Amino acid sequence: MDATLPRQTRLRALRTDYFSTRLDTLVTLGFGLLAAWVLWSLFDWGVLHAVWSAENREACGHGAEGACWAVIDARWRLIFFGLYPFEEQWRSALACAVIVLTGGASCAPWFWTARRLAALWVAGFVTFYVLMRGGIFGLTEVSEQNWGGLSLTIFIFASVTLLGMPLAIVFALLRRSQLPWIARTMGVIIDAIRSLPLLSIMFTFAIVLPFVLPGWMIGDKLHRVIAGYALFFACYQAEIIRGGIQSLPGGQEEAAQALGLGYWHRIGHIILPQAFRNALPATINQLVITFKETSLVVIIGFFEILASGNAAYGNSEWNFAHVEVYAFVGLIYFVFVFALSRYGAYLERRMAVAER
Amino acid sequence: MPISQTAVRISQMDKYYGTFHALKGINLEVAKGEKIVVCGPSGSGKSTLIRCINRLEEHQSGTITVLGTELDDNLDNIDEIRRETGMVFQHFNLFPHMTILENCILAPKLVRKQSRAEAEEVAMEYLTRVKIPEQADKYPGQLSGGQQQRVAIARALCMKPEIMLFDEPTSALDPEMISEVLDVMVGLAQDGMTMICVTHEMGFARQVADRVIFMADGEIVEEAAPETFFTTPKHERTQAFLGQILGH
Repeated sequence: MDATLPRQTRLRALRTDYFSTRLDTLVTLGFGLLAAWVLWSLFDWGVLHAVWSAENREACGHGAEGACWAVIDARWRLIFFGLYPFEEQWRSALACAVIVLTGGASCAPWFWTARRLAALWVAGFVTFYVLMRGGIFGLTEVSEQNWGGLSLTIFIFASVTLLGMPLAIVFALLRRSQLPWIARTMGVIIDAIRSLPLLSIMFTFAIVLPFVLPGWMIGDKLHRVIAGYALFFACYQAEIIRGGIQSLPGGQEEAAQALGLGYWHRIGHIILPQAFRNALPATINQLVITFKETSLVVIIGFFEILASGNAAYGNSEWNFAHVEVYAFVGLIYFVFVFALSRYGAYLERRMAVAER
Repeated sequence: MPISQTAVRISQMDKYYGTFHALKGINLEVAKGEKIVVCGPSGSGKSTLIRCINRLEEHQSGTITVLGTELDDNLDNIDEIRRETGMVFQHFNLFPHMTILENCILAPKLVRKQSRAEAEEVAMEYLTRVKIPEQADKYPGQLSGGQQQRVAIARALCMKPEIMLFDEPTSALDPEMISEVLDVMVGLAQDGMTMICVTHEMGFARQVADRVIFMADGEIVEEAAPETFFTTPKHERTQAFLGQILGH
């Protein structure tokens, strides 16, 4: 609502929007009361009657009326860092901060050239990896098998996106190739991978692939899982990009051809920038799904943040507090997903200005 | 006519869409500096004809030679011809994600390898010529149709082409904007640009065309100087067409 609207008008708008007929009034009051009751109950449970500190753990337990946030107080390091060695957990925290900063920085329009963006992400990613993995600069080595919690979730998400996005562009372009056998082969590959559940792809890459590949190609289990996930991501994202390309008017490519621009110039300057604009809502959607589905790696023995959360209440001391732990983990997911969608909305607004 | 004076030579050219014979045995020679207006009823193949000249459409037989280079499957030849041939479209086809200035400097920078400063200087010169230098930092969506089409002309001119192709440049414009675009085209003609225009603007044809070509059903039916064409058309299809568009 416009901030400059006079008060009188706003009151009237409120009345016409919510109380214009008897039924409207009834619905407004009904849902208003329902919302108030839900919010109050949550507030009562989560704040008023909650136990905050691990020292008064005895106040929790059966029959307690409020949330037992004491479990978070006691176990937050397990949730955030998983099996990462206790004394080294500052590295994991720092690594998370580096990636979050990199993500934040790449939202700034100054970084929006291919070279700057690539440099930023390579730098951010290498820093993250060195901090997490160690083995140089006097940092003790921590193998991927011991990574966990939030930094593992972020690592999987960031590497899947960074590997998958360029792959998706290549897939989308091949899918649109003028040569029918290339376009069709790519189509079959995309459809085949999309028809498989992500779980089975991860399983295949983690467990089956080592039997098939030559020794030097096997690599770390986590890396194989990421490769499989990136392939899966690329197939979905390729179709999103293809949709974006197909929604462009044919005149765009023709105008670029008529100016003498070659294929790569047309793709890089005319087609893809516009295709990504068109595909932005779907792309953000895909990124959100990808972020959340990182939790599937638990089946091959990795403790990303949801699995760490399970471990946090999974002992006799805290086993009643699963709701609180899930609420906390849910909040962490929400922060990331919400930031992502706000960023998407910001981009859409920015582009709307350019195309008004 | 010596070769060096020929801008475009088309001989015995045929074009098919699947089994549909869109252009039939086209012969056409355009000298440098000549202005040609192509007209005809809708579906007669006039747009297809000029789109064949810069290979937006592929012809199936016969030859098209542009500025001494023959259009064949050699991609280098196609690129070379496109560099020297500017095209203006019915629907402008500006790049909506770039400002007016960026639209104008893109191809000179990427294809002609000009520096940004150099390309911007040329672009501002042409934007001034089409009378909208003050719009340089706006986006195409913020301009009127007439303004967009003038930008499209400036964008094509920034490549310093030898030949300009116009594909119904005023057909998508509101009536009050047609003249501002035609004025620019007349100015261009007076400067000696080689122009091939598909248009229904018969006033423009009268004023600047050296020859008017009338097409119907994929064939060139009649070609004549504008005076002859408008006063004593020979072919009855031409007479019927002129009767329809000039009759009211």
